[in-house]
Amino acid sequence: MELLIQSIVTGILLGGLYAIVGLGLSLVFGIMGLTNIAHGNLMIMCSFIVMVFGTVFNGNIILMLVLAIACMVVFGFLFQNFLVNKVIDKGPNPALLVTFGVSIVIQNALQLIFGADARSIKSAFATVNVVSSDYVSISGAYLANFVVAVVVIVLLSLFIKRTRMGRAIRASANNVRAAELMGVNTKLMYSVTMCIAMATACIAGLLVGNTFVFYPYSGPQYLIIAFGVVVIGGMGSIPGTLLGGIILGLAQLLGSYFFGTGYQIFSGYIVMLILLTVCPAGLLSNAKRK
Amino acid sequence: MKNNHSSLRAQSKTASLIKLIVAAVILIVLIVMPFVGGAYIRNILILIFLYMAVSQMWNLLAGYTGLVSLGMQAFIGLAGYVLALTTQQYGKPIWLAFILAAVIAVVFALIISLPIFKMKGVYFTIGTWIIAEALYVFFANWAFVKYSIGYNITVAYRMNLNTFYYLCLVIGIVSIAVVLFILRSKTGLALMAMRDNEDAAEVRGVRLYRTKLMCFLIASVVTAIAGVALYLNLAYIRPTNAFSIEWTVSMVFIVIIGGIGTIEGPIIGAIIYVLLSQILYNFAGYSNLILGIIAVILIMVAPKGIMGYLEERFAWDIFGIRRRIKPKS
Repeated sequence: MELLIQSIVTGILLGGLYAIVGLGLSLVFGIMGLTNIAHGNLMIMCSFIVMVFGTVFNGNIILMLVLAIACMVVFGFLFQNFLVNKVIDKGPNPALLVTFGVSIVIQNALQLIFGADARSIKSAFATVNVVSSDYVSISGAYLANFVVAVVVIVLLSLFIKRTRMGRAIRASANNVRAAELMGVNTKLMYSVTMCIAMATACIAGLLVGNTFVFYPYSGPQYLIIAFGVVVIGGMGSIPGTLLGGIILGLAQLLGSYFFGTGYQIFSGYIVMLILLTVCPAGLLSNAKRK
Repeated sequence: MKNNHSSLRAQSKTASLIKLIVAAVILIVLIVMPFVGGAYIRNILILIFLYMAVSQMWNLLAGYTGLVSLGMQAFIGLAGYVLALTTQQYGKPIWLAFILAAVIAVVFALIISLPIFKMKGVYFTIGTWIIAEALYVFFANWAFVKYSIGYNITVAYRMNLNTFYYLCLVIGIVSIAVVLFILRSKTGLALMAMRDNEDAAEVRGVRLYRTKLMCFLIASVVTAIAGVALYLNLAYIRPTNAFSIEWTVSMVFIVIIGGIGTIEGPIIGAIIYVLLSQILYNFAGYSNLILGIIAVILIMVAPKGIMGYLEERFAWDIFGIRRRIKPKS
C-alpha cells in the first residue's frame, strides 16, 4: 500500500518533468504545424551546455541556466531562420526531414565532442529528501521538476494569451495570410516561437540532467516521451502537456508497480498507443475546438 | 496527325529497346560480378541490394501512399529474431526463417494496422515509432529471447557467400518489380489519385483503407525478407541494434538523397549511401554527421532529391510509370 501511494506520487511528479520536456514540441507544433524531430536531441544538447557552464561557473545554477538559455535562443533563431523557415512553405515533409537531419547531426556531434559516457548535472537540492514519512518520500529533484514545470506552463500560457506578441504568434498560427495583412511578420513570429521552445528545452535539459544521467544518444528516448506527452494532451495545447505528462508518468510508475520495473517504459508506450487509438486528436486538442 | 503518332510510337519503341539493352547489360554484369570482382565488391553489392530493397519499400509508403513511417525497424528486428530463433534455438534451415519472417511480418502488420491506421499524418509517424520502441523494450525484457544478450547467428558463417549474393540480388530485383507492378496496376492509379487529393479519390470510388493496408502489408513483408538477409550479413542480433531507429534513418537518407516518390531514387540513394558509409568508415563518428549535413543541404537545395532534380531538368524517366494514352488510329 505504501508502495502504491509512493508510485502515484512519484508518477505525478515525474509527469511534471515529462510535461516540460514536451512543452517545446507542443508549442512548435501548435504555432507552425511542424513536428520538430530534433526536439529530443536539442534538449539533450541543452543538458550538455548546462553541464559545461556548470563546470566553468562551479555550480551556480541560475547563472548556468541563464547562459545556456541565451546560447540556445540564438541557436534556435538561427535554426529556424536559416533552415526551417526556408522550407516550411513547401508542404509538411521537407521541414520534417530538415529537423530529422539536424537531429542526426546534433546527436553525432555530441557523441564526438563528449564521448559516450553517462553525464549528470549536480546541484545542492537534487539529493535532499524534502518529505520523508512512513508513507511517502519525495526527493528535492522531483519536487523541483514539478514546481518548475507548473510555473513555466502557467507563465507561457499567460504570455501567449495576454501579451501583444503572444497575440501575434497566435494570429500567425491561425491564418498566415490574414496575420500578414494585419502587419504581423509571421516568419519572425515562427522564429520567436522556436526561441521560446528552445528556452523551455533548456529548462527541461537542466531538470533532466539533474534528475537522471544522460548520454549523447538519450535524445530519441526523450523525443518519444515528448511525443507521448503531446499526443496524449493534444498537439499544440499548452495546458494539455501537463495533463499528458501526468498521465504518462502515472502509466509508467503504475506499470512498474504492477508488472515489474522492466516494464516501466513498456507500459508507458502501451498507454500512449491506446490513447492515440481511442482519442487520436488528444485529450485537450486545439483541433477539436477550432 | 497520323504520321506524328507513328513517329512518336517509334521513338518510344527505340527508347524502350535501349532501356532493355542497358538493363540486360547491367543484369549480366551483376550476375558475373562475384566471379570477376573480389569479396569486397561482392559484400558492397550485397549491402546495396538490401538497403535498396528496404528503401524501396519505405519509398512506396512515404513517397506514393503518404504513410511516413519511422517504425520500419520493427519488421527488420522481428525478421532478425525469427532468423536467430529458427537457426540457433531450433536448428532449422535458413529458408524456413525467410518464410516464417514473411508470415510473422504479415500477421504483425495486420495487428498493428488496427490502431495505427486510425492515426493520420504525423500521428501515424509517431505511432509506428512508438510501436518499434515498445518492441525493443519488450524484447530486452523477454527471457525467451535471452534478454539483451541476443544471439550470434552462426549459420551465417557456414553459408555459401555466392549463393547469398544471388539471393540478395533477387531480393533487390523483386523489390523493384513489386513497386513497378503496384504502380502500373490499377492500385497505382488509385495511389496517385490519393496522393493528389484524398477526398476526391474516395468520392471516385478508391477504397482508401484497403489500398493503404495493402501497400503497408507488402512493404512489411519485403522489409522482413530483406531484414533476414541483413541479419545473415550482420551475423549477430541484440535488441538495441534490431529495433534501432538507425535502420529507418538510413532508409530516409537513401530516399531523400535519391529522390522521394521515384523508383530510381532508392537505387541511386542506396549506391551513394553504401559507398559513402564505406568511405567514411575510417572516420568513425563522423560518418553519420556528414550524412546528416548532406541530407539537410539536399533538402534545402533539391527537395526532390537527385532523381527528382534530373527528372525536372532533363525529363529523365527510366522506369516509366506514367501511362501512355494509346492514340486512336
